[in-house]
Amino acid sequence: MGIILRNVCKTFEGTKRETLSDITLNIEDGEFVCVVGPSGCGKSTMLNLIAGLDRPTSGTISVNDRKVTGPGADRVVMFQEAALYPWLSVIQNVRLGMKFIGIGSDEQERRAMHYLKMVHLWDFRDYSVHEISGGMKQRTSLARSLCMESNILLMDEPFSALDKQTTNKLREELTSIWAETGKTIFFITHSIEEAVYLADKIIVLSDNPGTIKKIIVNDLPRPRHIEDADFISLRKNLLGYVRKEVDKVEKEEYDSK
Amino acid sequence: MKKKNTIRNKIFVLLFYVVLIGLWQIIYYLGANTFGWWKPYAFPNPQGVAMSFVGLMEEGKLVIAILYSFKRCLIGFAISVVLGVILGLFISFFPKAGNAVKPLISGIQSLPSVCWVPFAILWFGLKESSILFVIVMGSICSVIVAIDSSFKSVPPMYVKVARTLGADNVSLYRYVLLPAILPMVVSGLRQAWSFAWRALMSAEVMSATIGLGFSLQSGRDMADINQVGMVMIVIILLGIAVDRFVFSTIENKLLRKRGMLV
Repeated sequence: MGIILRNVCKTFEGTKRETLSDITLNIEDGEFVCVVGPSGCGKSTMLNLIAGLDRPTSGTISVNDRKVTGPGADRVVMFQEAALYPWLSVIQNVRLGMKFIGIGSDEQERRAMHYLKMVHLWDFRDYSVHEISGGMKQRTSLARSLCMESNILLMDEPFSALDKQTTNKLREELTSIWAETGKTIFFITHSIEEAVYLADKIIVLSDNPGTIKKIIVNDLPRPRHIEDADFISLRKNLLGYVRKEVDKVEKEEYDSK
Repeated sequence: MKKKNTIRNKIFVLLFYVVLIGLWQIIYYLGANTFGWWKPYAFPNPQGVAMSFVGLMEEGKLVIAILYSFKRCLIGFAISVVLGVILGLFISFFPKAGNAVKPLISGIQSLPSVCWVPFAILWFGLKESSILFVIVMGSICSVIVAIDSSFKSVPPMYVKVARTLGADNVSLYRYVLLPAILPMVVSGLRQAWSFAWRALMSAEVMSATIGLGFSLQSGRDMADINQVGMVMIVIILLGIAVDRFVFSTIENKLLRKRGMLV
């Protein structure tokens, strides 16, 4: 069960260097995993491979003992942009995914209400997409993902386009939703603080080619507070690893010129 | 404040046309009487046009002509839309074949529809079907191009999201792609309608026995330049009316719902 990657490599057509090289990783059921690393290290590629939006060049990926061959509703993805459909209202957007997988109308209504209330958008259910703020759009997108009630949620920097306050609020909400639903969450971020706040397990990717540089188990008690001494020390620790990677990338880019 | 402005704008527009008609009358008068640039019967004048309008209205000929023309344009346009949507979908589904036919389609689109009249008469005779043929040939390419290019304009993210939410091909088209392309398709249809309207006039001038194009032609035959001018003005006004009240309205409604229009 869970998500299993075995010797996964990815080289994009027309490029020489491997974007991801020999990634082997086990993600347990119910785990909250964050991936951090310098930009361009293949974090999003990794998520796209698990989502089935892209195929690995070699190696295998399996989700709940089934090989990934394409996208599916058992691994719902939440993207950096909310990607809502502008011709639908908030609640219609939320219900659309359930419609795709043939969930009955009553159940759609029940789940839409449950999750829209969870993300505090029930009062805004009939609004048009263009009438709500960026944070509300991202929360709509979250509700849409949650409504699918998949065991696995893949999140690609979902909060990075939002302001600090909204981000903090959504992180908080996400942790409680995770605790409540017991989902497996695979979360990509460039924010060290976010990774330490959210994750059970933090994967540091190195660049060029993208490999797993370090896996850090984060057993800080929840709820976590970013001012706590333990939090700060883990954050510094992690920052050290990532910074080395960022420096390396910068140096290589400089040298190659 | 805003309301006041729109009223002021309307008055301004009205004034513009009053002045324009006044200028027209003055130029006509100077050209025909003072300078003798043209014979009075070779240049339409506002008064003559108005009289011609009243005359044809009283006989009921103008209304019948308008109705006939409208009917033809609607039928031809409907055929264009049905065939054009089918062909447009075909091109989008089979890009290889599509790339081969696309230059041909844009070529035909730039061909003035009057070029089809000889074929139409040869193949269909002087019948309604020949007029419809010219309308369809004149407008179908806009429909095909609109369908094809609107699919290309759909943000890839829309498809990605639908796929990860478990959409199969049928759902993808029904719930995502078709609604996504709708505004662009409507604006394509709007263009197709204006092409159909133009093609209709070419065809009617050549082969009809009733209709606006025919009224234009019979004005020429009777050397009644005022009737020619009047029918031209009616054709323009009807074109504007359909564009404004039908297509613009639908388009604006769609865009407003999507927040793409304030």
